[in-house]
Amino acid sequence: MNAVGPSSDVGDTPEEAVAARLKQAAAMFGRSLHIRTVDTGSCAVCESEIRLLLAPHYDLHRLGFFFTPAPRHADLLMVTGPAVRAMDVALQKTYAAMPEPKVVIAVGACPLGGVYAEDALVHGSLDKVLPVDVWAPGCPPSPLALLHGLLVAVGRLAEKVGLLNFWEEDVAR
Amino acid sequence: MSIWFLRGLRRGVVTTRYPAVTDRWAAQLPSPPLFVPAHLTAELVERLVAICPSKALAREGAYLVLDVGACTACGRCLKAAGPAARPSGVFELAATSRERLLKRIPVKGGPP
Amino acid sequence: MIAGWLWSAAACWAAAAALALGASRRVSLTLTAWVSSAGGLAALVGGVLLALRGTATGTFASSSGPVGGLVLRATPLASAFVVLLGLVALAIGLFSPHYHKPGTGTAIYLSAYNGALLAALAVLVAGNVTTFLVAWESMTLASGLLVLRYRSQQGAARGCLLYLALGEVGFALVVVAFVLMATQCHSLDLATIATRAASVPVAWRSAAFVLALVGFGFKAGLVPFHIWLPVAHPAAPADGSAFLSGLVVKLGVYGVALFGFQLLGRQAPWWGLLTMSVGALSALVGILYAMMERDLKRFLAYSTVENVGVIVASLGAGMTFASYGQRPLGAFLLLVALYHAVNHGAYKTLLFLEAGALEHGAGTRDLDQLGGLVRTMPATTVISLVGVLGIAALPPLNGFVSEWLVFQGLFQGFRIPGHVPGVLIVLAAAVLGLTAGLVVMAFARAFGIAFLGMPRTRHAAHASEKGQPLLGPGLLAAACAALAVGAPAVLVALDDIARGVTGVELRPDLLARDLTVLPAHTAFSGFSPTYLATFMVGVAAVPLLIYLAGRPRGASRSVPVWDGGIVEFKPRMQYTATTFANPVRVIFQRFYSPTVHVDRASEDPAGLSGPVHYRMQVLPLFEKYLYSPVVWLFRRLARLLQPLQSGDVNWYLLYILVAVVAAYFIAAR
Repeated sequence: MNAVGPSSDVGDTPEEAVAARLKQAAAMFGRSLHIRTVDTGSCAVCESEIRLLLAPHYDLHRLGFFFTPAPRHADLLMVTGPAVRAMDVALQKTYAAMPEPKVVIAVGACPLGGVYAEDALVHGSLDKVLPVDVWAPGCPPSPLALLHGLLVAVGRLAEKVGLLNFWEEDVAR
Repeated sequence: MSIWFLRGLRRGVVTTRYPAVTDRWAAQLPSPPLFVPAHLTAELVERLVAICPSKALAREGAYLVLDVGACTACGRCLKAAGPAARPSGVFELAATSRERLLKRIPVKGGPP
Repeated sequence: MIAGWLWSAAACWAAAAALALGASRRVSLTLTAWVSSAGGLAALVGGVLLALRGTATGTFASSSGPVGGLVLRATPLASAFVVLLGLVALAIGLFSPHYHKPGTGTAIYLSAYNGALLAALAVLVAGNVTTFLVAWESMTLASGLLVLRYRSQQGAARGCLLYLALGEVGFALVVVAFVLMATQCHSLDLATIATRAASVPVAWRSAAFVLALVGFGFKAGLVPFHIWLPVAHPAAPADGSAFLSGLVVKLGVYGVALFGFQLLGRQAPWWGLLTMSVGALSALVGILYAMMERDLKRFLAYSTVENVGVIVASLGAGMTFASYGQRPLGAFLLLVALYHAVNHGAYKTLLFLEAGALEHGAGTRDLDQLGGLVRTMPATTVISLVGVLGIAALPPLNGFVSEWLVFQGLFQGFRIPGHVPGVLIVLAAAVLGLTAGLVVMAFARAFGIAFLGMPRTRHAAHASEKGQPLLGPGLLAAACAALAVGAPAVLVALDDIARGVTGVELRPDLLARDLTVLPAHTAFSGFSPTYLATFMVGVAAVPLLIYLAGRPRGASRSVPVWDGGIVEFKPRMQYTATTFANPVRVIFQRFYSPTVHVDRASEDPAGLSGPVHYRMQVLPLFEKYLYSPVVWLFRRLARLLQPLQSGDVNWYLLYILVAVVAAYFIAAR
């Protein structure tokens, strides 16, 4: 984790740095965001869900988010797939071509280290290649989950998963 | 006039109003499991860790660690756990820190 | 005074021809070249003075001899071509010492070249039929020797043969045309023919014109008489090709202009329409074939065919306007044709010289093997770019100015009453418009594939321009710019020429006071090449100034250009010359009728099949359907007549007897 924005203080924990960067991003991107997607070796089901975002049912554009093919115009990099090593150069070039401030969101279980372990062909986890700001789990994440992830990235929604425990007392007894 | 336009007029607006209003069917989407520690024996935990295909479950001392990020909601642990797990119905899983996606669930049997 | 300049040019070239014979050594090679250049300079000055004077000089040399003898007279029409001759000779003279290696071959070559220069000058100042024809033939033979320089190479012999053969056919027709007019006017002197031509019946004059059009068309490279160009140009060395394209084909144009505007009196309307149509078709066919060429010199040769088509089309349109009484427009289009001829001489010579430098530096002329030369040969690239911008008729250079004026002249076809001429002129303008678009594409292809991108082979990667001559081509590049920005000055001289030839006073309708050029009518259109050039430079400077003024002062991050995330660029990812021209090939498929051969190593699916060879060949339309049948016919005739040559002495004695008896009877009558 690295590449903090220009106004970072020495002594920030990585988490605080991410929070600071997202806050800065939210100030700029709250109303309009351009998204560039990169597939680093996924099975393309995540891409299907991403494509559904533009369909009338979910309608990404009503939230002010747009897809763009040009990283020069992009604010947010949406990465699917387990970060195959063959895509390193392309991913780095795309990331470098994006102007500051920029946000990276890892989509699906693959870039989060699920399914594929690190080996000679894949990194397994995206943060070995790029500094990741938002993690959006799911296999595939439904379009609603993707919308939630995007809105968290621009600060329009608060994170919820941190408050959940994923266990409960037995109520049946 | 296009037939789709007429159909749309008949059906009304189908666009979701998320994030203002969450759709009711969203809870039925595949989601990571919610555990009931009262039924989580050590031996069940071992079996669950073995059958998870994406290494989302791990045993760590007195806890079962669920990596929400790695979970693919395949449902194998739900089937095997019986009363010990049910679908959580949560789809808003995005996090800004990877650590917050690692959930520690207490195991009934205590540490091995 | 003018005669003095022309005599000194001739003397320089005669001296150079003699000196060249000693060019087995570097010193005499350089000396020959300098003397040749000096001659070029003298011719340039003499031509400019002649143009500004506007009327023919008196006969400055005359001697009686068999069949009229030698008569030299400098006319206004010739002056534009004399200027061109001077410019070309000057530039090539500055180029050749670095290009040729001393040796016997070079010696003969340079001697022939200077002889050709001398003969070309003689053609231009010929005052009577005999001088013209003798000079013409000498020029053809001398320049034929140029093609034969590297006679061991594959295409040299065929190139020379085609050039001389077609040159001779053209010459024969030109002789008939001249003799026709001379007998009808009872004089061999060209000025006398011009004054007496009005009294010759129109049928004879038309016949003479058509013969001249075809005969000079062989030399000028009009379709379908052009087939020697793409064969002779690659065979000749670079400066030889430059001379051929820059000057020799212009002499064909001079011949057409001579017959069209000067020798035959009042034109019949269909002469101009025929010439214009032939010119327009020539232009289109030329550029279509050029688009498919991989060899840079063959490409430039076809491009010459295209430009000559434009010039001749302009001449034809001028003749049409003049014959319908629109004499100012007729004079205007003649003027524009001459302008385009000079422009083309400048940039085509430049391009051929640079093609020679490129071939020396990179080792090959094949476009598909070049690439990336902008990094290894930057000076050549820049100079070639000026030539390419000129020939593609892009503002603000000279090609644009003259091509624009051609169109402005053609668009005024509505001034001619009558539907057929109007429709034909509009069609010619449309064809020339299509041609202009294709020219831009063709030269974008030639320049881009050769100079830009990545080198496609090791030759291109290791190219170097060490030792390449810059002065000659640089001079031509400067001339291109000067001919554009200084268009008003050039048009002053051309206006004097047009007045000398046609007697029409164009000046107020040609050049407005504020450097604007008008197409022979004040209320039609106008533009100023000088202001256009200034404006373009200014407009290009504005973003630069904004950038310099508003550059971000804070920390900025420099990253590589976004290239799609490609891991590694390979030369094979680029366009080749063939694929770049593919859209044109598909659209004009009926015209090209390409034959395609595909050889596979095996029938396995892609990826496993091994190398696949793809070969595409364009149909050589004229060779197949025009020249082959003619050649076949003559061979049949020859075979039929063969029995006459039996080898038997008795038959030969019989022939002699028959001939003597027949001569007796003819003479006795």
